[in-house]
Amino acid sequence: MTMFHFLNCAILTFGPHAVYYSATPLSIILTSFLQQIRLVCLATFLKVSESDSFDPYQVLFVQSLSGIVESFDWVRRCCGLYFALTQLTHRNISQNHKFQAVGLGWAFADSVLHRLAPLWVGARGLEFTWDFVLQGLEANANLVLCLSLAALGSLIWLRKNKPKTLIPIIYACAGIVATMPSITSYLKRGLGWHFPKVVGFELFTSLVMAFISWQLFTACQRPSN
Amino acid sequence: MFVEPVYSSLITLLIIVVACAELCDAVTVVDVYRLVQYDLGGVPLGSRLAALNHHAGSSLYLSSAGAAADLSRTVLILPVRELNLTFIRDYIGQRKPLGGLLLLLPPVFSPQHSDSGGGADQDSAKDLVKEVLIEVERLLIHANIPYPVYFGFEDEAVHAMLGDVKKNDITGQPATATTGGYKLVVAAPEPRKVASPAIINIQGWLPGLKADGDSNQLPTIAIVASYDTFGAAPALSVGSDSNGSGVVALLEIARLFSILYSNPKTRGRYNLLFVLTSGGPYNYNGTHKWLRSMDQRLRETIDYAICLNSIGSSSNELWLHVSKPPENAYIKQIFEGFSTVSEELGLKVGLKHKKINISNPRESQMLSFICLALRTGYVPICMVSWEHEQFSRLRVTAATLSELSVAPDFLESTGGLSDNRNFINEASISRSVKLVAESLARHIYGQQGKSIDIFADHSSLSINPSYIRSWLEFLSTTPRVAPFLSKNDPLIVALKKELADHTVEVNVQQELLDGMFTFYDSTSGRLHIYQVASVTFDLILLLVLASYLIVLFSFLVILTRGLDDLISLFRRPSSRKVKTA
Repeated sequence: MTMFHFLNCAILTFGPHAVYYSATPLSIILTSFLQQIRLVCLATFLKVSESDSFDPYQVLFVQSLSGIVESFDWVRRCCGLYFALTQLTHRNISQNHKFQAVGLGWAFADSVLHRLAPLWVGARGLEFTWDFVLQGLEANANLVLCLSLAALGSLIWLRKNKPKTLIPIIYACAGIVATMPSITSYLKRGLGWHFPKVVGFELFTSLVMAFISWQLFTACQRPSN
Repeated sequence: MFVEPVYSSLITLLIIVVACAELCDAVTVVDVYRLVQYDLGGVPLGSRLAALNHHAGSSLYLSSAGAAADLSRTVLILPVRELNLTFIRDYIGQRKPLGGLLLLLPPVFSPQHSDSGGGADQDSAKDLVKEVLIEVERLLIHANIPYPVYFGFEDEAVHAMLGDVKKNDITGQPATATTGGYKLVVAAPEPRKVASPAIINIQGWLPGLKADGDSNQLPTIAIVASYDTFGAAPALSVGSDSNGSGVVALLEIARLFSILYSNPKTRGRYNLLFVLTSGGPYNYNGTHKWLRSMDQRLRETIDYAICLNSIGSSSNELWLHVSKPPENAYIKQIFEGFSTVSEELGLKVGLKHKKINISNPRESQMLSFICLALRTGYVPICMVSWEHEQFSRLRVTAATLSELSVAPDFLESTGGLSDNRNFINEASISRSVKLVAESLARHIYGQQGKSIDIFADHSSLSINPSYIRSWLEFLSTTPRVAPFLSKNDPLIVALKKELADHTVEVNVQQELLDGMFTFYDSTSGRLHIYQVASVTFDLILLLVLASYLIVLFSFLVILTRGLDDLISLFRRPSSRKVKTA
C-alpha cells in the first residue's frame, strides 16, 4: 500500500510533464532540452536561495527585508527565463514551441527539486495523509503557471511586433504569474490558509492565467500571420 | 559567483528533506507495557510474543460478525472499564487465535497519575474496575498466551482511534489491508531469558546494650518485609500496598529505634534486625535463603520475628497470622502486647492460626511441582503462604501482621496492576507503624501493661508522616520485579543507604532465584498507531490518475496537432494493414 501510494503520487506529480512532453512536437530537441534543464536548474537554485518565509516570529525589519527579497524573486525568475529563451543553441523548433520546452523544463526541474524528496521520504510511510496528493495537484498547477510564464516571457522578449495596447497587459500578467509563489507562501504563512485551500487557489489561478496568456499569445500571433 | 547560492540552496534542500523526514513520522505514539512472560517449572506462561504489527479491531466487531470471525490478524483493543469478563475467560480459556490484545486501563491506575480524589461515585467506579482488573490479571498470569498482550492507558489520542475503529466495526467488516483502518505496530526484539535473576536481601543490624560482665548473647528481635513485586505487567508492578506499605513501615520503625538506640541510656537489651527480603512472590525464596545462610547461633538468639505484609488499606482491622498454636506462651505474650496497643489506637487486631503444611493444598501447583521434580531433580519441600512460615520451618517464633485475613493464593496480592498509590491510605500505615513500634518498645523496655506512650505525637519520637509519604511516593513509582533488579539498581542502593543511616551494620546478600522460575525481558514498548488507506482506495486513485492523464494527452494532441492526428494514432496499425494488402 505504501509503495503503491508513492507510485500514485509520483504519477500525479510527474505524469503531466511526461504527457506534455510526448503530446506536443518537442521530442526532436532532446539535447537542447537537457541544456534547458541545466539553465533552469540554475535559475531555480537562485530562486531557492531566497528566504521565502513570512515567519510571524521575525522582527518587522526582517519582515520588510524579506519582502524586498521577495520582490526580487520575480526578477530572478524572469532573468532565468530570459537566459533560457535567448541562449538556446539548437534552433530546430519554431519560436512558438520554444517557450513550451522552456516552461516544461522549468516546471519539471521545480517539481523534482521541491517535491521528489518529500515524496520519497513521506509517501512510502505507513501513515496515510492527503498531503502528497495535494502536492501532486500543486505540481500540476505549477506546470500550467510555468508554461504561462514562459509564453508571456517569449511574448515580451522574442516577439518584436506586438500590438501596442496589449503590452501593459502582457507585462502585468507576467508580473502576477512570476510572483505567484510569493503570493501562495503569504497565504500559507501570513493568512494561515490550510493546504487544500491553497492548492485550490493555485489551480484556479493557474487555469485563469493560462487562459489569459493563451488569449494574449493568439492575439499577438494574428498580425504576424 | 554561482557557488555560494548553490551551496546555500543545497543546505536548504537538505533541511527541507530532514524536516520532511521527521514530520512524516508524526503518528500517534503511546507507551505500552507487556504482559509478563515467564516459565514456571518449564511450563510456559504469560504472553509469548513481543512484536506486534496488525490491524486494530474492537469488541464490537465480534458481536456484529459473530463467532465465525477470524481475528488472527487483528489486535483487539479492549478498555478494561467496559470489559466483559465471560468473553475474556472464553477467549483465553479456549485459546482462540488472536493477532494481539491491547487492554486499556483508566488513568487512575498509572503510577504517574496522582488522584485528585473524586466523590463517592468515582470511588465506587474505581473499586468496580479494580475488581475486574484483579480477575483479568489472574486469568492472564496463569494462561499460556501465544500472542502479544499489552497494557496501555486511556488518553485522547487512543480514545479517538478506538471511536473510529468501533464505527468501522459496526458494519461487520474486518479491518484488513483492503478496507483500511488503523494499524498498530510495536517494534520489539525477540524476548530473551533474563540470564541470572538475582534475589537481593538487605539486612540492617542494630545492636542492643550489653551490660558489663554479661557473657550471654542478647536476644534479637527481627522485623522483616519483602520489597519486591510481581504482577501482570512487570513495568507497572509498583505494589504500593503489597508490599510498599510494609517496606515503608519497616524503614520508619528502623528510624524510630535508631533514635532510641543512639543514646546508650535508652538502648534496649535486645538486638534489632531489620531485613528487607526479595523473592516474596516466589514462595518467600529470599527469606528462606537468608535464614539458611544465617549463622545458627545468631538464629537461635532470635526471640521472635514480625513480618509486615500489606498494611496500607483503609480498614481498621489487622490480623496477626501465626503458625504456632495460640495457646503457646510466646504467642500469647506477643498477641497481648499488640492487642493492648491496638485498643489504644482504635484498631482491631485478630489472631489467625494456620499450621504449616508439608503437602501442597493447591492442586494446580502440585502438577507443576511434579513436572519440575522430574525435569530438574529439584523438589520444593513446601509451599508457604506467609513469610513467617519460613521462620517457623526453622523453629523460630514468628508472626505476620497483615490487613489480609486469608492467605493470598500463589502469585496473588503481590503488587499487581491495581495496587498503586491511589488505593492506599497513608494514615493506616502510620497507625500500623505506631502499633508495631509501640508493642515492640514496651516488650523491649519491659513496660507491658503500663500506660505509657513511647512514640507519642508531637514528641521527638513521633511518627513522621512526611517520611512515610516520601518513601511511599518513591516506591509507588518504582517497579520492583526481582529478576529485573540488579545489585546496582538505584532502588537497592537507596534502600541500602537508608538502612545504613538507621542501623549500625548493613549487609547485602545476593542469591540466584530458584530454578523454578525463568523470566523473559522486553517488558515495555512504544506503540505506533498508523492510519492506513485501503488497497481499494489506491486502486481507485490510480484509475482516476490514469484517466486524467489520458484526457490530458488527448487534449494536448488535439490542441497542437488537431483531432485527426489523435485518431490517426489509433488507426495506424489498421492503415498499415490496408497498405500491405
